[in-house]
Amino acid sequence: MADAPIALITGISGALAQLVGKALVDRGIAVVGVDYRHLPDAVGYPAVLLRANYNKTKIEDVFRRHRPTYVLHLGRVGNLKERMNKRFDLNVMGSRKVMDLALKYGARRMLVLSTFHIYGAHPHNHTPIYEDEPLRAGTAFPQIADAIQLDSQALTWAYQHDEVKTMILRPTNVIGPDISNAMSKFLRQKTVPTVIGFDPMVQFVHQTDLVEAIVRSTCDSQAVGVFNVAGRGTIPVRRALDLVPGRKLPLPSSLVMSLLRAGSLVMRTLPPYLVNFFKYPCVISDQKLRTTLSWEPAIGQTEAIRSTVGVA
Amino acid sequence: MLAELVSSLPATLADTTENLRRASDTLRDFAASITHVPEVEEAIERAIPIGASGYDPWGFSPEESKLQYSLAYWIYRYFRPVVHGIENVPAGRCLVIGNHSGQLPFDGLVVSMATLLEAEPPRLLRPMAERWFPTLPFVNIAFSRAGVAVGDPINCRNLLEAENAMLVFPEGTRGSGKTWDHRYKLVRFGRGFMRLALQAKAPIIPVAVIGAEESIISLYDFKPLARALGMPYFPVPALLPLLGPLAFLPLPTRFHLYFGEPMVFDGPFDDEDEAIEKKVAVVTERLQSMIDTGLEARESVF
Repeated sequence: MADAPIALITGISGALAQLVGKALVDRGIAVVGVDYRHLPDAVGYPAVLLRANYNKTKIEDVFRRHRPTYVLHLGRVGNLKERMNKRFDLNVMGSRKVMDLALKYGARRMLVLSTFHIYGAHPHNHTPIYEDEPLRAGTAFPQIADAIQLDSQALTWAYQHDEVKTMILRPTNVIGPDISNAMSKFLRQKTVPTVIGFDPMVQFVHQTDLVEAIVRSTCDSQAVGVFNVAGRGTIPVRRALDLVPGRKLPLPSSLVMSLLRAGSLVMRTLPPYLVNFFKYPCVISDQKLRTTLSWEPAIGQTEAIRSTVGVA
Repeated sequence: MLAELVSSLPATLADTTENLRRASDTLRDFAASITHVPEVEEAIERAIPIGASGYDPWGFSPEESKLQYSLAYWIYRYFRPVVHGIENVPAGRCLVIGNHSGQLPFDGLVVSMATLLEAEPPRLLRPMAERWFPTLPFVNIAFSRAGVAVGDPINCRNLLEAENAMLVFPEGTRGSGKTWDHRYKLVRFGRGFMRLALQAKAPIIPVAVIGAEESIISLYDFKPLARALGMPYFPVPALLPLLGPLAFLPLPTRFHLYFGEPMVFDGPFDDEDEAIEKKVAVVTERLQSMIDTGLEARESVF
């Protein structure tokens, strides 16, 4: 493996990054995994695991020592469990640092994982939403500013630095048996609140499809710019929740919002800004990615949800 | 005598229960006949083939929309429309452009039902609705499932590119809120529909709706009340002194629909407003003359 190209993956304590690492190792690429959180003891395949804050000097040591060919910045802090300052520090300052270090130490390909949440679920949204459209989420939920800035900054950076071919992915709701983000945990809850009187179309992308999209984007493409990842098909949110075993609890949206706001003070729960995604549509098109990679997601909505909650 | 009465009580009770059960069955059958109109259900199945998921990305569901269109069928029947030129509605993308009138959007409903039931193959028109409809609880679900989409130009373009037939009233609420003295006179058309037709290379099918103006006759638009209620207009119906609140319901006037031949326009969609307006004027002139001809041909309002 001495001559194997090296991929540096941030967010390696998370399931998605570990799955991506596995797929890269299977392609003969050596993996260096970094996270600011506690590291797993092992990831089930040979990989160097290092703990480093993305916005501290230690992250530069990692780049200096390993000189990765590929940089996969999958370590976006996704929800409100971290305080605003810390999220800004990691998502905005940290991402900037990761990108600058990729340039400084000669990486050729970079992939930044953003999110479709930045489009915002809004009653005026048309369908589907393409990559070049405005990011509305901040108007309703300023707390999402760090995610919007991460994305915009990465896009600007990508066009400023042609030496590192940089691609930004905006996946829809990522779910799967190994994923433990806010949405996957929500689907597995014993009691699942639903919003009375609303039933927007939603999309889910299964971990397997997203991993495939990330690996192909990294290794098989030199495309630059931002790309949506939508998964296969769309489904009304109630239909989706009908597939999970938890007891449904229909509530008015104002009550859901208050409960989540109160809940977020004492425990890790669904970020309140996600409530709008249960009221208004935010259906994205990933035609651009499909055309660029000559690829299509394989797992439909029903199968994705069932596998996430462990129902055959 | 009393003993007789008591002994017959169980039988009487059984009879009553049986009668009640029959009544409830009849009621249920009646409800089912209203909410499941076979003619409508068959037309919907033929109108838009949707993939295995049963929904399109906008939330339209052929299966779930059968209820909405079955209910709409009875309103359609109420107006007993006479449909002319339905063969002008093509397969594939198009913009059906009509004159808006009648205070409530029954004209849109009747045009939609006409293309669904009379066109061959059946066409399910996608109406563009006011942007606030997604915020109305329950209404947003019923509308989306029936194929209504948010009135946004990009949404309309995306739907056209997916080969949908769009229903647009370019007069908007300016048209539907017309008072009696302005009946059957087109008011200013927006330009958006023309830019969309040019961009998506979609033919325009003009449709003249005759009969809606008389269904609710508005003598006056009570603007202060409309503003207070957040409505675009507030009609004062002519029959208000006679019928009270019932005057806000439509009279069973007979609708006549005239679908015109497809109009195809060429040129840049992002042309100057003046150039677009010239093309829009061609459509309004055509539609106005169809309205005038239709009015002349009409023998009775009912």
